[in-house]
Amino acid sequence: MHKNDYAYGDKRMIIQIVDLCFSYNKSKKILENVTYIFESGKAYILSGANGSGKTTLTRLIMGLLKPNMGSVSIDNEPLINPSKLRLADKIGYLFQNTDMQLFANTVYEELAFPYQITGAYNNDIENKIDITLKEFGLDGLYDRFPLLLSGGEKQRLALATIFIRDVQFLILDEPSSSIDQEGKIFLAELINRFVEQGGGVIVISHDEELKDMINNPVHISLNEGRL
Amino acid sequence: MKLDPRIKLLLIAMLTSLAVFAKDIVYLGAVALTALLLDIMLRANILDALKRIRHFLSLIVFIAVVQSLTVKSGKSIVSIGNFTFISSAGLLNGAEFALRMGIIILASIIATTEKGRGMTDALIKLKLPYEIAFMVSVTIRFIPMFREEFASRLTALKLRGINIKKLNICKKVKVYTYLLSPTVAGSIIKSRELANAMEARAFRAYPQRTMLRDLRLKFIDYAVIISVIAYVALFAAVSIKIGGII
Repeated sequence: MHKNDYAYGDKRMIIQIVDLCFSYNKSKKILENVTYIFESGKAYILSGANGSGKTTLTRLIMGLLKPNMGSVSIDNEPLINPSKLRLADKIGYLFQNTDMQLFANTVYEELAFPYQITGAYNNDIENKIDITLKEFGLDGLYDRFPLLLSGGEKQRLALATIFIRDVQFLILDEPSSSIDQEGKIFLAELINRFVEQGGGVIVISHDEELKDMINNPVHISLNEGRL
Repeated sequence: MKLDPRIKLLLIAMLTSLAVFAKDIVYLGAVALTALLLDIMLRANILDALKRIRHFLSLIVFIAVVQSLTVKSGKSIVSIGNFTFISSAGLLNGAEFALRMGIIILASIIATTEKGRGMTDALIKLKLPYEIAFMVSVTIRFIPMFREEFASRLTALKLRGINIKKLNICKKVKVYTYLLSPTVAGSIIKSRELANAMEARAFRAYPQRTMLRDLRLKFIDYAVIISVIAYVALFAAVSIKIGGII
């Protein structure tokens, strides 16, 4: 695997959540008056028991769910009916099940497809894809069908699809669930480098080993719907 | 009202058969009303089910409108000069199609009231080989999963900055083809994993299977069987007497 060869742009960003409440049904509240500020330049490790609302919180930040009460704002701009497209430019989201994030027929297309379909594909993008695939240790797998890759390879590919977009913030949902020791080291280096360059990262993880590898993380815990 | 799953299958078969055979809009309406009443009596979540298939519903409406516009016989309702846009026969055709599809949908909603292994047990009791019954139930169980997977991939696509609404029709088709292929491939992979898991749990190791829950018809089930026979007989009788209904 290679070190990151290209620098990222300005990543200053603040995600502010105020009095966020959410429940899937009336009987059980998942989040209750959650207030917090996530700033760029920091790595946050979000932990909590299974079903405590970690993934729900991140999905609310991404605008994939609508809060029952409270608000999410990015750089002091409230997300009212948040546009997934606008958020996609700023925040990269790694699904817990990376299979759901991959849909192209080859590894190369997985990265090229969004550019091809929007007509933005050119030589620069081609070079960027090559660099990204190398950086994520996926060179040599260009023509492979993504869903038939190993768990670790699938996860690196999903990460590559995020990093190629130069996002300012990363949300990684259980990123070490299907990777080996080498993969964890790579992931931790990636997170540390991203934070050093000014980006912000929220990592949902139960993996103590990965947590130890991340530099100066801010530990936050969700317990019965409260931070 | 709690019915045996076999009776639910009988109701579905009756309603869908009548939807196909009934030729008159009044009788199609009567069958649709019957299907709706049965859904309510069986406490089916109709709104939730309709919400899940809303895209399919809009397709039905679209086809019904196209049918209304293409059939020109009968009395002219909307016309410019000699050209008829909407005719009475066209409207009738479109409404009949929509009703037929509505009956089939309302009938299939009956199946959603049966949870767990109910339908598999019913098929086994109806002498369908266990392997086939199991495959049918697995297929039904996989459908919501595929829908969820497809929706997740659609979200993932949006999160990568692709605005599907802004794409032209050719590119939209390409995007949806892209989204379908991993779902199909994923289903093949999942079915292989499921087959391995079943082998590991000794599926078909013993030719004679025992049942934890044996289905037995109750009084209400027999009452529904008699009602179904009476209902179909009434339709047949009216058809013979008046003609042109079935």
